[in-house]
Amino acid sequence: MGSVLAASSPSPAPAAAGGSPGVSGLGSVPPGFTMPSVSSVPATSDQQTADADSPLPNPGTYEECHRKCKEVYPLQMDGVRLVVNKGLSNHFQVCHTVTLSTLGDSGYRFGSTYVGSKQNGPAESFPVMVGDMDNTGSLNAQIIHQLTSAVRSKIAIQTQQHKFVNWQCDMEWRGENFTSAVTLGNPDVLVGSGILVSHYLQSITPALAMGGELVYHRRPGEEGAVTSLLGRYTGDNFIATLTLGGAGAHATYYHKANDQLQIGVEFEANTRMQETTASFGYQLDVPKANLLFKGTVDSNWMVGATLEKKLLPLPLTLALGAFLNHRKNKFQCGFGVTIG
Amino acid sequence: AGRSVTRFFFFFGTTGFNFRLHRPLEITTMGSVLAASSPNPLPPASGGVAAAPGLTAPPGFGMPPVSSVIPPDGAASEQEAENSLSNPGAFDECHRKCKEVFPMQMEGVRLVVNKGLSNHFQVNHTVLLSTTGDSTYRFGSTYVGTKQMGPGEFFPVMVGDMDNSGSLNAQIIHQVASRIRSKLAFQTQLNKFVNWQGDAEIKGEDYTATITLGNPDVLVGSGILIAHYLQSITPAMALGGELVYHSRPGEEGSVMSLVGRYTGSNYIATLTVGSAGAHASYYHRANEQLQLGVELEASSRMQDTSVSFGYQLDVPKANLLFKGSLDSNWVVGATLEKKLLPLPLSLVLCTFLNHRKNKFQCGFGVTIG
Repeated sequence: MGSVLAASSPSPAPAAAGGSPGVSGLGSVPPGFTMPSVSSVPATSDQQTADADSPLPNPGTYEECHRKCKEVYPLQMDGVRLVVNKGLSNHFQVCHTVTLSTLGDSGYRFGSTYVGSKQNGPAESFPVMVGDMDNTGSLNAQIIHQLTSAVRSKIAIQTQQHKFVNWQCDMEWRGENFTSAVTLGNPDVLVGSGILVSHYLQSITPALAMGGELVYHRRPGEEGAVTSLLGRYTGDNFIATLTLGGAGAHATYYHKANDQLQIGVEFEANTRMQETTASFGYQLDVPKANLLFKGTVDSNWMVGATLEKKLLPLPLTLALGAFLNHRKNKFQCGFGVTIG
Repeated sequence: AGRSVTRFFFFFGTTGFNFRLHRPLEITTMGSVLAASSPNPLPPASGGVAAAPGLTAPPGFGMPPVSSVIPPDGAASEQEAENSLSNPGAFDECHRKCKEVFPMQMEGVRLVVNKGLSNHFQVNHTVLLSTTGDSTYRFGSTYVGTKQMGPGEFFPVMVGDMDNSGSLNAQIIHQVASRIRSKLAFQTQLNKFVNWQGDAEIKGEDYTATITLGNPDVLVGSGILIAHYLQSITPAMALGGELVYHSRPGEEGSVMSLVGRYTGSNYIATLTVGSAGAHASYYHRANEQLQLGVELEASSRMQDTSVSFGYQLDVPKANLLFKGSLDSNWVVGATLEKKLLPLPLSLVLCTFLNHRKNKFQCGFGVTIG
């Protein structure tokens, strides 16, 4: 979940709506424990569940469009991290994380996940309550609930020690061939400020989906709106996505070469910072050796890699990561052990 | 702090330096210790650098032990019946067993590739990506001659390695006579020679004597002379002494220290007392898997003492070697080494945490071959 100070940045960044699937970061699922997919990937199975007279599938959520490409990239690791996941029952899971960092602060984080009993699909149960707190008292909490068959709602709260930095509520409506979401971020009635984000994504053809985003922010004495358009094309083994907006462009290309190799290319142009970045990442999955290798090369002269290996028969996973910034001549490495 | 430094045994003297060892002798990196750049005349590395033991020997390749460890019981049986005292080993080896138990501090990523080219020649490549200092590439080579002195000892031995910046370490070790072994060692920092020394070691039946001439400079008129003597008093006890004489234009001095070592059935206790401080170490072998070491160092020059406790857990069935250490300077550290069979791969994970300064250091390394 991280401690993303989304609201502390001066520019009204769209609140982390649905972009942080609460449960995905909490590690592996104990057997018999169904973890709900908070935001579903646009899967071909959707096409099978669509009505016979409406061949267009539900396009998934707006934030998921760039997700597949971003998942290919390795995460930067620093220091040592120990994660212990423990499933207490079919509905409840806790996780302990100890981070010993060379650059920043070391800390302990406790997280818990509760999954309700209202079953919505094969792997989706609601409500889902995810929370975690770190040793300084900073709290992240999310409650996700399926209100009706097509409407899902979420409330998320984030504090930095004792101060609330993020509080938002959103509602997502899934139609047969469209998805729309409205998010209200950091509403403050006393001050008269807040952020309103609305998304809409529509399937045009079974392969093409287009949508838009409108962000309206308001503060005493200032208000503004930013719009952006999104287009996504899904092929046999690739997904190409393009986002164009007032603040820049973001294009990603995800390619699944075979069962083992996945490639992602990403291009970002920021008009505000007046800079562009291109990055290339690949993921090599060798299930026979219980190995997962991710590598990345960046236009900022950054090279990085992550190696993850399951140490069977123990429920142990070892992750090694190294990032090298050639331009600044900085090197960062770390490793982590995940138990359970 | 995370630089690789060869294990130079600096004796207690006017220098009073006792370098914390960051790399064990097993790895043939001589480091870039600016021995001569410090204002005090430091005694050079005599005999303390063992070139060979760290290089994994390809099969059929006899690697000579440069300085023999305390002779096991088997050596005693090789002695003549009328002389029950065995050779006590080298002077620098006295504290070695205890020091080997402690983990070595490592940071960043290290990749080592060892390649044996023949029975006599071996090379190794080391790439070190460091988070704090500079990243380096080091190339090392070892040549072992054909003159056989014992079951695993061949001479001459020539060990050299060079850094990507041009710093060179070189050693030549040769058995001149049946009891006399000689060594020449050179060390440069970039293009400047910082260390050049020669020594001769005489191994008698129950004594070892070594004389080392370090950084002799005829033009300037400076140099360091070190003499060691270690004598077996009883089969378990050995006593010895060291005399360091250094001379520079306008200054000269000498330092003396005494060493006593007692070897029990499963422990070794060593004490070094000199004018610049004391160094006591205790090594205990609890069982086949667990070894302990306790060390006390007191420096009268720096006016400080430190105590450290280390242990080594060896689990050969799991191809695992774990070393942990605890220090009176509030430093806790551990190293985990695992052989990843069937590949000739070895993975090392290392973390050190300094509670007092709130500093954390971690690193991992892969050794191939």
